Amino acid sequence: MLTLLKLELEKLFRARSFYLSFLVLIAFVALMLWGFYTYAARKTGGEAVEQFKYTYESKQYFNGLTFALYSLLFSFTLLLPIFVSMSAGSQIAGETRAGTLRMICTRPISRASLVLSKFLVTALHAALLLLFFIGLNLVVGLIFVGWGNLELYPGPLNLVDVPGKIMRDDALMRFGYAVLSGTWALLVIAALALLCSVVFDSPAQAIVMTIAAYLTLYIVGRVEFFEHLRPYFFTTDMDFWRDVFKPEIPWANLWHYACICGAYTTGLLLATVVIFERKDIVT
Amino acid sequence: MWVKLVLLLLFCLMILGAVHFAQPSQSSNRASSPAVVNALRLLTWNIGYAELEDDTRAHDKDLPAVAEVILRHDPDAVALQELTGKTQLNVLLGLLHGKYHGAVAQQGNGDRFEAVLVKDSRATFIPVALGAQYALAASFRPRANSPEVLVLSAHADAFNAARRRTYTEALIDWAEPRTQSSEVFIAGDFNFELKAANETNLYTDNVKHDSESYSHILREFRDLGRAAGDTAINDRRIDYIFGPPSLEQVGRVEVLRNAAVGRMDHWPLLVEVGF
Repeated sequence: MLTLLKLELEKLFRARSFYLSFLVLIAFVALMLWGFYTYAARKTGGEAVEQFKYTYESKQYFNGLTFALYSLLFSFTLLLPIFVSMSAGSQIAGETRAGTLRMICTRPISRASLVLSKFLVTALHAALLLLFFIGLNLVVGLIFVGWGNLELYPGPLNLVDVPGKIMRDDALMRFGYAVLSGTWALLVIAALALLCSVVFDSPAQAIVMTIAAYLTLYIVGRVEFFEHLRPYFFTTDMDFWRDVFKPEIPWANLWHYACICGAYTTGLLLATVVIFERKDIVT
Repeated sequence: MWVKLVLLLLFCLMILGAVHFAQPSQSSNRASSPAVVNALRLLTWNIGYAELEDDTRAHDKDLPAVAEVILRHDPDAVALQELTGKTQLNVLLGLLHGKYHGAVAQQGNGDRFEAVLVKDSRATFIPVALGAQYALAASFRPRANSPEVLVLSAHADAFNAARRRTYTEALIDWAEPRTQSSEVFIAGDFNFELKAANETNLYTDNVKHDSESYSHILREFRDLGRAAGDTAINDRRIDYIFGPPSLEQVGRVEVLRNAAVGRMDHWPLLVEVGF
């Protein structure tokens, strides 16, 4: 198992897509920064370009922590799930397309171990992506916007019902928690993509199917017609990761949804192992 | 085999964990009614119609039902929105058998009026200019030994969040200095859209404006009806009663969901507080 993991890690670090995902995240942070500046310039008639934190009613509202939080919440909806889908979706189907899966399976290793090692590598990729993205946002926020407390208002981020505040050091700790809770939520996508990677022989098909399923549920979940279906979508349960940014973390609620996401992940992984073990590999 | 067993075990553990940490669902219609000493009962109600109607202002035929709700719940002061004018108010006051005294706001740039009804016959009504709009306040004493109470009936723009923000800022600028001498309550339909989850965009100017307006009010006032849930159709909580943050007791807080008649799209919000 350890040898398998080592081999899969080597493959991950050699893949161009691995580095590409980090580059795109850097570009996204730059885009966010540009968006914040131009937004401020537009709203203040060009008077507050240098200090766009003054666009909000509270003069301390926009700071490095707020910038990082906005950037993270915006990207978590689409950007990070796409990279996780790409990473996981190409794990088995990529080997199939390259013609190496058959050879791997002739080795004295169980197919279940192979699936598990590929999943663990994907999980590591997701955690690294999130860690890098949060770290980058905080550094960019510190340099370009400056430190302060994390002030939260009802409405825009849908985190609080009444205005709240998280002190700076506590807020930094919350970003640390977000690496864990966010990675845990993204593992549902990773497990789904791995299942698709076993079912489909083409990595593109596996990735597209995963993203399609995610987007369909995400969009349907935001349409009021389907409000009663919303609690049954995994996309709704995945939202628990944001709870770490509430002034008082609702721990029971957080653990409840974390367990549901865990059930999705392990259930999908189990199905992947069962299907993969029965799969006739002909390429 | 061991991988499958471990996964199955983890799956079961996750299900058990989810069940263990599940919290009982909370009803959105939580009506708390602890006993309140020196109670002041306030009611706010936009009695206009939904947008689909030709005339979205209050309809005369609904006034007996409105009066019946007011008489049944017996508030000390009532803030009404979207009346057609003084004539309609007089009809309503007649239906209340002289138990209430009231006035409508001055006409601004719209075709509908805010009104305040109070039981206290010595109440004074104060027109409040808020930019191009007018609101109305009533100053009264609910009991002989009570402090002076100021209740303001407000109605913010339904279609433009920036205008709601301007209106709110003017409203707070007017109300803030008066909190020194009176117990100030602001009641009405603010049309704040604070449920960002219902927005198709992740971040909009409208949500930002409403967020800032609401937060601006909460700097000086307390949102007394927050626990009562939605006050209008389509799961919207857009009617509010804001009061002094130092209130000793908040008793009954309830949205009267069976009160709407005709094509009304709002329900009355009733709040009982004690000094």
